Amino acid sequence: MNTKTIPLERKDVEKTTSLPLRPSSLVAVVVLGVLALVPALVSDSFFIHSLIMILFFAYMSTAWNFVCGYVGQLSLGHTMFSGAGGYCSVLLFTQLGVSPWIGMIFGGFLAAFLSVLIGLPTFRLKGPYFTLTMIACAEILRIWVENTNDFYGIPLKGAEGLVVPSMGDDVWAFQFTSKIPYFYIILIMLAVAIFATRLMERSKLGYCLKAIRGDRDAAEALGINPTRYTTLAFAISAFMTALGGSFYAQFFRYINPERNMGLELSIDMAVMSIIGGQGTVLGPLLGAAILVPIAEAARGTLGGSFLGLHLVIYGLALIACVLYFPKGVIHPLGRFFSRLFGLKETRG
Amino acid sequence: MTPILELANVSKRFGGIQAVKDASFSVGQGEILGLIGPNGAGKTTAFNMIAGFFKPDTGTIRLEGKDIAGKKPWEICEAGIGRTFQLSKPFGDLTVVENLMVGGFARNRDRRVNREKAEEMSAFLGMAAKRNIEANNLTAFDRRKLELGRALCTEPKLLLMDEVVAGATPSEAGEMVELVLKVRARGISILIVEHVMKVIMSLSDRVVVLDYGEMIASGPPKEVVSQPAVLKAYFGERYVQSRA
Ligand SMILES: Nc1ncnc2c1ncn2[C@@H]1O[C@H](COP(=O)(O)OP(=O)(O)OP(=O)(O)O)[C@@H](O)[C@H]1O
Ligand SMILES: [Mg+2]
Repeated sequence: MNTKTIPLERKDVEKTTSLPLRPSSLVAVVVLGVLALVPALVSDSFFIHSLIMILFFAYMSTAWNFVCGYVGQLSLGHTMFSGAGGYCSVLLFTQLGVSPWIGMIFGGFLAAFLSVLIGLPTFRLKGPYFTLTMIACAEILRIWVENTNDFYGIPLKGAEGLVVPSMGDDVWAFQFTSKIPYFYIILIMLAVAIFATRLMERSKLGYCLKAIRGDRDAAEALGINPTRYTTLAFAISAFMTALGGSFYAQFFRYINPERNMGLELSIDMAVMSIIGGQGTVLGPLLGAAILVPIAEAARGTLGGSFLGLHLVIYGLALIACVLYFPKGVIHPLGRFFSRLFGLKETRG
Repeated sequence: MTPILELANVSKRFGGIQAVKDASFSVGQGEILGLIGPNGAGKTTAFNMIAGFFKPDTGTIRLEGKDIAGKKPWEICEAGIGRTFQLSKPFGDLTVVENLMVGGFARNRDRRVNREKAEEMSAFLGMAAKRNIEANNLTAFDRRKLELGRALCTEPKLLLMDEVVAGATPSEAGEMVELVLKVRARGISILIVEHVMKVIMSLSDRVVVLDYGEMIASGPPKEVVSQPAVLKAYFGERYVQSRA
């Protein structure tokens, strides 16, 4: 095309490039950097445990957001990937002695494969139909594992779940007596997931997903094959989710269908993204930072007498969020901070 | 010179409705061809077949001699046809520039290049000042211009425009006419559907008239609109008789 270059005002473009990093990247680096220092300052093991839980949920939610937030589909079946990943790494370790570090990669590929099988026929379903199909797939897997003790010689042990035998402090076995190594592992996993989301958001894949979310027909007319890009993103998301499932299994040295494949964990991932801000890089982290402590507190104080109270709280938070911050808490927060520092919001 | 687009005996039926019947017409290199006809004549259906959204029941559609009938929309885009929709379909929560960048990614993976190109396009559309506004917050006419720009960012050889001035004020319609002429000046051929006669008359080199899916006339705009068959299609039998 013989376009003539037309001079434009570039003021707000220059303003951000004069900073070493974009505001949201800066926030990510600062938050993760400060977190990295925490174990040096606090040695309370309950506190570290709670932080690990926040980081774990932030990671899972970030993995969920990678596809669902950007393409605008609500999956409530992502636990089939964490379950597949967790069972894969645990079984490879207990049955064949394969290090969970390697096993979790296998689990990731298994989950990615599963996601392609399930995603190809279901990803063109719209709204509730997609959501219900994903719930059904995840529940089928969970119920099958719960009722299968032995699958062609693989001891799944049904509802009882699998215990990872203790090996003491053993890096190769992904086992540590202190919680601090787990803290750094999940922190690094989260940092990588956030970085991957950031890269994706600014790449062709990110623009394609957002276009498909905006209008599928228009996206197709602009050269985008929706199946290709949603399948790719779904597989990456499934891979990341599976790694999270393996981490969880190693951290608790235990895995069972209810916790690792159940609907509850799927809801956690989705709700944290939605409340924090789906389709944004840091929304899931923010959502986890808000919801996990609330849920833990609810479980701690009233949990014994009122099971599932945290779900009620999720429901209320979700209602409040939909009413007041329909795009997630991160948007008003972002505006507040950019006004505070006199930065102009730039996007794209 | 081979025409940029050539339809031969293209038909499409929806259940009991023959939406397009045996249509054959072509768009020359650098030409602006107007496609007109009463409501339900099959204009949008013809567009959707060219753009790959419907597969024609019969017939061939050639882009620079290569048959593209039945290809997928993204393949058609890749082959060099851009389109707008009768009801505009902006990506509402993306800004003007981001919308335009999506178009650019069809040709180029580099974000910086696309951003640059999108900024130039926003200026070309006369929307430079609005380039960081979300498409949701644009006026209906700006959304139409944005959609046009987005299609242009895919670097088409042929542009399909479906009722681009529907609902626009006269001054906006004038602006759109200018814009379309500027697009043609870039060497892009254009197939345009339009109900506003003034726009069709001032833009088209030739027009094709569809009625009940059938081509009833074609030729220079001034000649075509005075043909009895065309008047009959638009105004009914009585009108033609009373004028005779
Ligand atoms: N997807 C579809 N399914 C069934 N029938 C359709 C479909 N699309 C169009 N039609 C029918 O085909 C005929 C031609 O429709 P089309 O939209 O092509 O007309 P048009 O010339 O674009 O009209 P308008 O000027 O109102 O936009 C109409 O009778 C319409 O009802
Ligand atoms: Mg139409």
